[in-house]
Amino acid sequence: MEDSSLQAGSTAVVPPPVATFHPLIIALCCNWCSYAGADLAGVSRIQYPPSIRMVRVMCSGMVHPNLVIEALTKGADGVLMCGCHPGDCHYQEGNLKAEKRADAIRLMLADFGVEEERFRLEWVSAAEGPRFAQVVREFTEQLQKLGPSPYRQ
Amino acid sequence: MAAAARLAEEWFAICGGCEVTILDIGEPLIDVLKKVEIVHMPVIMDHKLFGQTGENKEMEIPEADVGLISGGIRSEEHKKLALEMRRKCKILISLGSCACFGGIPALNNLYSTEEVLEKVYRDSVSTESNGLPHEQVPSLTDRVYAVHEVVKVDAYLPGCPTTPEMVVGALTSLLEGKPLPPLPTKSVCDECPTRREKKAVSTLKRRFEAPEFTPGAPLSEMRCLMEQGFLCLGPATRAGCSGSDGTPRCIRAYMPCEGCFGPLSEKANPMVDMMGALSSIGLDPKQIPDRAATFNRFAGAGRLRPTPKR
Repeated sequence: MEDSSLQAGSTAVVPPPVATFHPLIIALCCNWCSYAGADLAGVSRIQYPPSIRMVRVMCSGMVHPNLVIEALTKGADGVLMCGCHPGDCHYQEGNLKAEKRADAIRLMLADFGVEEERFRLEWVSAAEGPRFAQVVREFTEQLQKLGPSPYRQ
Repeated sequence: MAAAARLAEEWFAICGGCEVTILDIGEPLIDVLKKVEIVHMPVIMDHKLFGQTGENKEMEIPEADVGLISGGIRSEEHKKLALEMRRKCKILISLGSCACFGGIPALNNLYSTEEVLEKVYRDSVSTESNGLPHEQVPSLTDRVYAVHEVVKVDAYLPGCPTTPEMVVGALTSLLEGKPLPPLPTKSVCDECPTRREKKAVSTLKRRFEAPEFTPGAPLSEMRCLMEQGFLCLGPATRAGCSGSDGTPRCIRAYMPCEGCFGPLSEKANPMVDMMGALSSIGLDPKQIPDRAATFNRFAGAGRLRPTPKR
């Protein structure tokens, strides 16, 4: 439990600092590992920033670069793509496909004037609830440093 | 015989190849011309925009049943003429890739107008540096526009150049009062006869290296050009160039598709599609030269823009 306001017995509610920028992250999580990992983070009540909007996909290998580019050019501050660890893919090599596409995505982000750091590919297994929370925390902090997306109105 | 249909044609930022296509219709053109009266067409007739003796203050195009526009919109003059064409023509058709999606001139959209002028009139090595033209020339628009971005267009005949078959087909349908058939929604690959073995590309061949094929043998025995390592835009390009022949035009000449029939849909981004497809079958995306221009060679209007500064 990081946030003291949520500790058992504590009645003080600490309002979030007003000036902080709250990034909006679209998280694309694979059904078999990462979504289950996020679920585990939830049922384990691990705290992480409420910055993500999660989309469950069957496999990270089915995430077309179009989806990432579209999210980022329509105002999302970051896109997090999560899949099974290499070798663990439910469809054998979907995540390897995702890894190859990620290179192309990073290249194209420059063409669209979006910082490369706004896109992240992470491996999260179904047992890694704490890791999922950690990834979201780190990514949120990184985006807070970067500031809002250039496409955000 | 019913009164002849009146046809107006105007050309903007274009090479003139689409007008040559009209001529290339060949014998069927004789039948079409019997039913058509051309009232305005700068490439073949002397009809002046400001009246034959220059007596008018505003550009004027005669009333017409069918209007053809070839070329994208690059200057304020083009913009005015496009609006005038729209006012005077009952049916307006975008002829060729430049009118439909900006075409080759829209590669300009990768740079700002200032950069383009600077390059053309001052920077280029072969140019004697001089001032910019400023008298009696229309000013350039901020970028190259496809015709439908400026005025409503009723039909599209894409292609670089478009095919005589499509032009004559469209004109005949219109003369008979039938609607134009919609553009196909399939991709060039759907019509391509070449043999596909295994989805994999590891190294790219340069464009003018020769593909492997047996001369004289049917195309169905040639291996897919993409699999042979040539950048072929087939997967992200609209079908339709094959016409009654059934085989895409460039493939017929053992060349990879260049994408002149435009993206599969209005919203599609061929660069993202192709980069995604190529990288997922094992090609290092850094190998692809000049990705934005390569994959948007004909579709730059509304898709290409100067690389944002960071």
